[in-house]
Amino acid sequence: MKLRAYLTASVFAITAAVAPRAANAEVSPLDLVGPIAEYKLFIGENLEKLVNETKAFTDAIKAGDIEKAKKLYAPTRMNYEIVEPVAELFSDLDGSIDSRADDHEQAEKDPAFTGFHRLEYGLFSQNSTEGLKDFADKLQADVVELHKRITELTFPPEKVVGGAAALMEEVAATKISGEEDRYSHTDLWDFKANFDGSRKIFDLVRPLIEKDDGTFVAKVSGNFDTVDKTLSKYKTAEGYELYDKLTDDDRTVLAAAVNTLAEDLSTLRGKLGLN
Amino acid sequence: MAKDNDTQSFITNRRNLLLGVGAAGSVLAAGVAGAHAEERHGEQVTDAPVSDKMLEQQPFNGQYQSGIVTPRPAAGMVASFRVLASKPEEVERLFKTLSARIAFLMKGGTPPALNDKLPPADNGILGPVVLPDNLTMTVSLGASFFDQRDWLLPHKPVRLSRMKAFKNDALDQSLCHGDLSLQISSNTPDTNIHALRDILKNLPDLIVLRWKQEGSVPVLPRSPDGTHQSARNFLGFRDGSANPDAGDTELMDRIVWVQGNGDEPAWARNGTYQVIRIIRNFVERWDRTPLGEQERIIGRLKPSGAPFGGRTEIELPDYAKDTEGTVTPLDAHIRLANDRAKGSDAHLILRRPFNYSNGVSKSGQLEQGLLFIAYQADLEKGFITVQNKLNGEPLEEYIKPIGGGFFFTLPGVVNADDFLGRSLLEAAGHTPTITKS
Repeated sequence: MKLRAYLTASVFAITAAVAPRAANAEVSPLDLVGPIAEYKLFIGENLEKLVNETKAFTDAIKAGDIEKAKKLYAPTRMNYEIVEPVAELFSDLDGSIDSRADDHEQAEKDPAFTGFHRLEYGLFSQNSTEGLKDFADKLQADVVELHKRITELTFPPEKVVGGAAALMEEVAATKISGEEDRYSHTDLWDFKANFDGSRKIFDLVRPLIEKDDGTFVAKVSGNFDTVDKTLSKYKTAEGYELYDKLTDDDRTVLAAAVNTLAEDLSTLRGKLGLN
Repeated sequence: MAKDNDTQSFITNRRNLLLGVGAAGSVLAAGVAGAHAEERHGEQVTDAPVSDKMLEQQPFNGQYQSGIVTPRPAAGMVASFRVLASKPEEVERLFKTLSARIAFLMKGGTPPALNDKLPPADNGILGPVVLPDNLTMTVSLGASFFDQRDWLLPHKPVRLSRMKAFKNDALDQSLCHGDLSLQISSNTPDTNIHALRDILKNLPDLIVLRWKQEGSVPVLPRSPDGTHQSARNFLGFRDGSANPDAGDTELMDRIVWVQGNGDEPAWARNGTYQVIRIIRNFVERWDRTPLGEQERIIGRLKPSGAPFGGRTEIELPDYAKDTEGTVTPLDAHIRLANDRAKGSDAHLILRRPFNYSNGVSKSGQLEQGLLFIAYQADLEKGFITVQNKLNGEPLEEYIKPIGGGFFFTLPGVVNADDFLGRSLLEAAGHTPTITKS
């Protein structure tokens, strides 16, 4: 673990880091304009990649090329996972693009179960592209629609900044266990995208708080480093190992880093004076 | 149980809050706010149930940790954690933070008020003022805590081992072991949950929750003659009738507390070995077993808890006059656990169990049982020996241990400069940073 300076801090410093006495009043709403604009560019780039790569992925499915489709599943999804804090503002699309079988009464058999995980189920669990054409078309149409809506959207600063923590909450609550990509077991790819999406937000606002809150910034960035270092052990030529390769020890290290990031980043909105 | 001035002031504060006295009260009266009080008639369905025990308080400071010889309250919980703290400084921060949080939670008080743009410092489930409610939080370490830290390995308590499966066990690994255990008990489950959430919030980078089990003890009306009775388990029997007298300090020194004169490391003095067992009870089957058979399996009369031929639960069975087992069967639970022969005193343990109820099994049966907790100065002569004597008992048809672990409970925190685990850190050559409290 690269950064451990904060570990030596006393009980009282820790309590203060977890529960700062007051939000930082120095940051004015205008200071956020630059970071939010830059974040919108970042999201735009990733959405374009999402649209293009989803096209390749769904084309492979429609062409019946199962090996290619399986290979494209995880990298294509990463583009969605990285923009999730914004994508989630459109709950109808988030549901049709990224819901899981458990979100539906009849699970995998439910006609409302669509999107990435429906295709994942067909490809990895049924090992077939049969019957997936409509789901493929729907996913492609949905990501195009998502791109359109987000392009027209004025980004609410509190949602953007809150997104850094929201991504960590998702990993902590429903991903660390490997239940997200349960048919393909490509969860580590998702983790990577979620962490990168969260870190991007943090890095953009970091200059605004670095001066007054150096300890906090160092602690958060140390935990992102821990995550990167842990995930990099599972890096392969193509992307990441399957979830079942993740050792219990590393899962614990990731869980602690994610919980700590979620805890610390939950104060980010307040530190920036946002509601 | 102390009631100091601080806690008295909580009551006053709380009453003021409840009555809406103060600023909020006058705003309401003036009718300026967007809300107004509606007249209500008597008690309402969603009124909080009232307890006069919220101010009961156990001491955090003492030679021993609280929650061991402390009379067991109605609600208990055991939580087991993986610990990420590896270096001495990290372990020090873990121990100090645990000590500081536990000291606060056991005493109660008002958590700091933060800017409302930030998440609140306290989860708030007990309201703006935290009342002690008889809370104890007891910290213990598993064998893996020492095994995974080279610098602590030479200081591991001599008898601390990883729990091995006994003959009747069907251990679910996701409910077993742990680097650190927290036994939390108080008058109400909500107080325990509040405390657990506080610990999780304050130590996210150093501990990760692995499993937890909550439990309860059936409450009895106060007896007119002031006598006490052991609580019943989910088999309907009194459990703890033969427990050693926790008020007898000499006895506790011998049975429960690690002394400075044996082969245990000096730092472990005033600590104790903790055994946790999650023991599923097949209650449907038990309830379909004839009363006489139930009593022969346990070795006691069900209504009174008395041994056969006795009238009260505190009477002792006389096995010397019953060598054939005609009064108490030779394989009755209580007779196997303690045959009352010469030397059997060496195997005494102090039990502090709770009953648990978790839901429904895949077969549609109740997932209930005993959250068995026991303390002893010698793990091997204590629980391990007793459990080995019980192996093969007729009761096994009705019970199935599925989880738990062995831990070493740290010595107490003697004063404000002390903290949990200090003697261990110092024994390992680490000098804790001095922090003024």
